[in-house]
Amino acid sequence: MKQSRDTNAADGAVIERAEIGGGHDGQAELVVTLRFPGGGRSRVVLDTMAGMRLMHNCGVDHAAALVGHPWHRILEEKRSCSI
Amino acid sequence: MFDLIIRGGEIVDGTGKTRFKGDVGVRNGRIDAVGTFGGDARRIVDATGRVVAPGFIDPHTHFDVQLLWDGQARPALEHGITTVVPGNCSLSLAPLKVDDRKRLVGMFQQIEEMPPAAFTEAFEWTWESFGGYRDAIAKSLAVNVAPLVGHSVIRLWVMGADSQKRAARPDEIAAMQDLLRECLEAGAVGLSTSFVDVDEDLRPVPSRWAHAGELDALAAVLGDYGRVLQVVPEFYNTDITIARVDQLAELSLKHDITTTFSPLFDSRLTPDNVPRVMARVAEQFARGARVWPQVQTRPIDISFSFEHPSLFFARFPTWYRVMRLPRAKRIAALRDSATAEQLVAETGADGGRFVMGGLVVRGGEGAPKALEGRTLGAIADERGTSPARALIDVSLEHDLNVPFLAANLGHEASDRIGPLLADPHVHIGASDGGAHIQSFSTYGDTGYLLGHFVRDTHHLTLEAAIKKITADTAEIWGISKRGTIAAGMAADLVVFDADRIDRGNERAVFDMPGHGMRYVRDAVGIDAVIVNGEVAYRNGQYTSAHAGRICDLQGART
Repeated sequence: MKQSRDTNAADGAVIERAEIGGGHDGQAELVVTLRFPGGGRSRVVLDTMAGMRLMHNCGVDHAAALVGHPWHRILEEKRSCSI
Repeated sequence: MFDLIIRGGEIVDGTGKTRFKGDVGVRNGRIDAVGTFGGDARRIVDATGRVVAPGFIDPHTHFDVQLLWDGQARPALEHGITTVVPGNCSLSLAPLKVDDRKRLVGMFQQIEEMPPAAFTEAFEWTWESFGGYRDAIAKSLAVNVAPLVGHSVIRLWVMGADSQKRAARPDEIAAMQDLLRECLEAGAVGLSTSFVDVDEDLRPVPSRWAHAGELDALAAVLGDYGRVLQVVPEFYNTDITIARVDQLAELSLKHDITTTFSPLFDSRLTPDNVPRVMARVAEQFARGARVWPQVQTRPIDISFSFEHPSLFFARFPTWYRVMRLPRAKRIAALRDSATAEQLVAETGADGGRFVMGGLVVRGGEGAPKALEGRTLGAIADERGTSPARALIDVSLEHDLNVPFLAANLGHEASDRIGPLLADPHVHIGASDGGAHIQSFSTYGDTGYLLGHFVRDTHHLTLEAAIKKITADTAEIWGISKRGTIAAGMAADLVVFDADRIDRGNERAVFDMPGHGMRYVRDAVGIDAVIVNGEVAYRNGQYTSAHAGRICDLQGART
């Protein structure tokens, strides 16, 4: 199906998996696997601040609960996130 | 008469050729004879039963500040490091205008965890130019230094506050080119830039505001001088990292420069990252580009406490919620018996034995000495409780100020890392020496390479591993007359016991200016370290020798 021109492929990406790993800077980080509408997958590693912001924006209190949430939530404003 | 003879060792000369037994004679700071020769010396170092290797070169450090009060770059030197490359990741201490010092110090503190006192108590700022900084550190060096100049500081010098607001105009780019030339003339080994770092206000550092044309213009200057470009790519995503590999390859081919990026590391959570990036690196090398990924040897450990937010707790909802409470409420929640029971229950029927039993109590400001280095599993057994409960109790007993270590949380699979380190396209580095000082120890990576990946797992021969951290590094960076044991080369040498060499256990020390804390590891199995012919470390003791210098570089092309 042809996508409309104003549709960004990333808008449709959904979090498929979220796990805790170790970061280069010695801090824990959030490793997120994304699934795109076309079937493609990608992984993004988020540091403490970005990871907690994503969890806040998705309204979840543990990493596994991120599964199924849209990836574009990462772009939302920090709002009242305390991190 | 030689100044020094290292007698009777197994010489691993850095070229990769099979070790051979012989002596090394030193005269006037240079290697004068190798093998079997006559003559006497003012000083003899007996190397019987030991390996004699070229001094190790660490290509990714942040010793910029430390070198101003500690020319030995402790404890890097005792691990056999005789040459360091500071100024990585777009940050160097020069060129820097007086008015911009505060701004740069903030970046160093944010990125490298250097305490404020390190910039105010330990030295006097005497320079603005790169040459001035070079002269300031050169006064008391015990190690050799090949300093990078940071793209962020060049941008800051030319654009001031606008360096963190916008792209540069053509006249500003030209001014940056002139300034870079001045730094290279003053001895800079290359330029570093970063696509990921932020300052203390979490704004992108100046280098991140540059458009591709600016980097291309600066790379052209590097090409004129035959110098190196070091880059921190967006290592949090494989696709973007690959795009950077391609960008670096184009710069390398267009300007005939060597480029290197760091870090590249492996994780069980991102298993395709290294294979995909290395496949593209190999492809670009086949085209003639020079794009060296730097790979660290040590596994990634993380630390956390209840004092600061950490994603370590994000596996468990109640832990995560409690961690995010204001401090007083956090302590109250941990003290509440019902909440504590819920916290323990969330970690599993074994009370957290599986997920927390291996966590280690780290040393540090508030850490209890009696518990330092012990696992929560052992502490729980001693107290007749569960590891999860022990974590809560130990934290409460010390006002939350107890750091815990989760070891081997990344880059930990030896069967993947060993072959990667042996890959001919991999540049062993990324130690980050002198950085992240309050999070983990960045020292002893060479000991870990030679102990673990050579002696234990046999992924590399001793000769191959030594070549990787000596001659290969000198060649990649264009460092002149260092990296091999041969007549005429600088007498940078390490004498070590191949059966013992290792990194010691991590420990907290309070030796930074202002009694600042950092984590270090002591050397294991190193007998002697010689820099420019002077014995700088011997049998566990640093000497008063300060024979280090700013490295000579292979000739400029213009």
